[in-house]
Amino acid sequence: MALADLAMAGEAEFPHGQSHLLAAAKAGDLAAFEALMRQYERLVLVTAFRLLGGLPDAQDISQEVFLKMYRNLGKLEEAASLAGWLYRVTANACHDARRRKRPNAPVEFAEGLRAGGADPQQAATEAERRRVLDLSLRMLPEKERAALVLRDLEGLSTEEVARALGSSAATVRSQVSKARVKVREFVERYFRSQ
Amino acid sequence: MHCLDWEERVALHVGGDLPAAEAAPVEQHLAGCADCQVFWSGMKESLELIQGAHAEVLPQASYTAVRARVLAELDGRRAWWRGGWFYGAAAVALALLVVLAVWPGLRVKPLPRMAVAGPPAPVVVTPVAARREAATNRGRRKRTPRQPQQLEPRRPLLVRLVTNDPNVVIYWIAE
Repeated sequence: MALADLAMAGEAEFPHGQSHLLAAAKAGDLAAFEALMRQYERLVLVTAFRLLGGLPDAQDISQEVFLKMYRNLGKLEEAASLAGWLYRVTANACHDARRRKRPNAPVEFAEGLRAGGADPQQAATEAERRRVLDLSLRMLPEKERAALVLRDLEGLSTEEVARALGSSAATVRSQVSKARVKVREFVERYFRSQ
Repeated sequence: MHCLDWEERVALHVGGDLPAAEAAPVEQHLAGCADCQVFWSGMKESLELIQGAHAEVLPQASYTAVRARVLAELDGRRAWWRGGWFYGAAAVALALLVVLAVWPGLRVKPLPRMAVAGPPAPVVVTPVAARREAATNRGRRKRTPRQPQQLEPRRPLLVRLVTNDPNVVIYWIAE
């Protein structure tokens, strides 16, 4: 979902409009801030989850991002730019978290996702498939992974990804294409060996 | 084996990232290159697999937990501010006191300087008889017995108060 779509969806969901919510939150209305959080919690938590791979870490990052948003309410000019700001802050926070984390820390898998299907056999297969796909993202260099997550999983345009990651559109295109090639090789190698 | 020269452009074409002008030659190449077609379809499949795997939603409880943590933290901060008014008022009062003490116009004027000066020493008058006796004794070189020391009369204490006004000097004489 592109950022413009996200902003429009927010306006449709909240009859008073995001601008009013933002203005009320700026004035100290905690309920308005909570409404803004509800609107953007999926964006922040899911992005952090996809970038980091573990739900507890993603929740910590989400908390950090929303507290930062509260502190910076005065600097946020308009609600339309909020999603882009949140993507940028989330990506930066995840980058910092990965640097802080010990390099030999055990790899977490997407344990936060629900296992699909009632059949235990099917659920196990699905979990294994998800683990492999998650691993294919994990083995990517951090910048390529961030570009792929924002472009292919979050559905941002190349320019929006570039703004969120603080780089150029050309760099993002290069990172996205490299990431897609690596993921394809990883997935093909794994599923061919099965 | 696909064509490495076309790899990056094919990878971008899969995700629809190429503008029309750049996409057209890629499509022409794909139409004539079987290996690159396989590469293209394999990449499309892996991309869809990843998108499918991550399309699943996180449990609602995970969002609720984050929201609760954020609101609890914000509530805690607000409570601190509400409780901190007393300390704030105390700090303001202290600052006011410091300003009052330091402000030049509000300083206490210094007391006039005080100087203590003694009266001039009294003139000792020696009697004539005593002077004669001293003259005769000078020629004899005779040791004369020591005269008992004469006690000086008690001097009065003179206190001079110098004020800021040079025309006003206060003398205070005490016995």
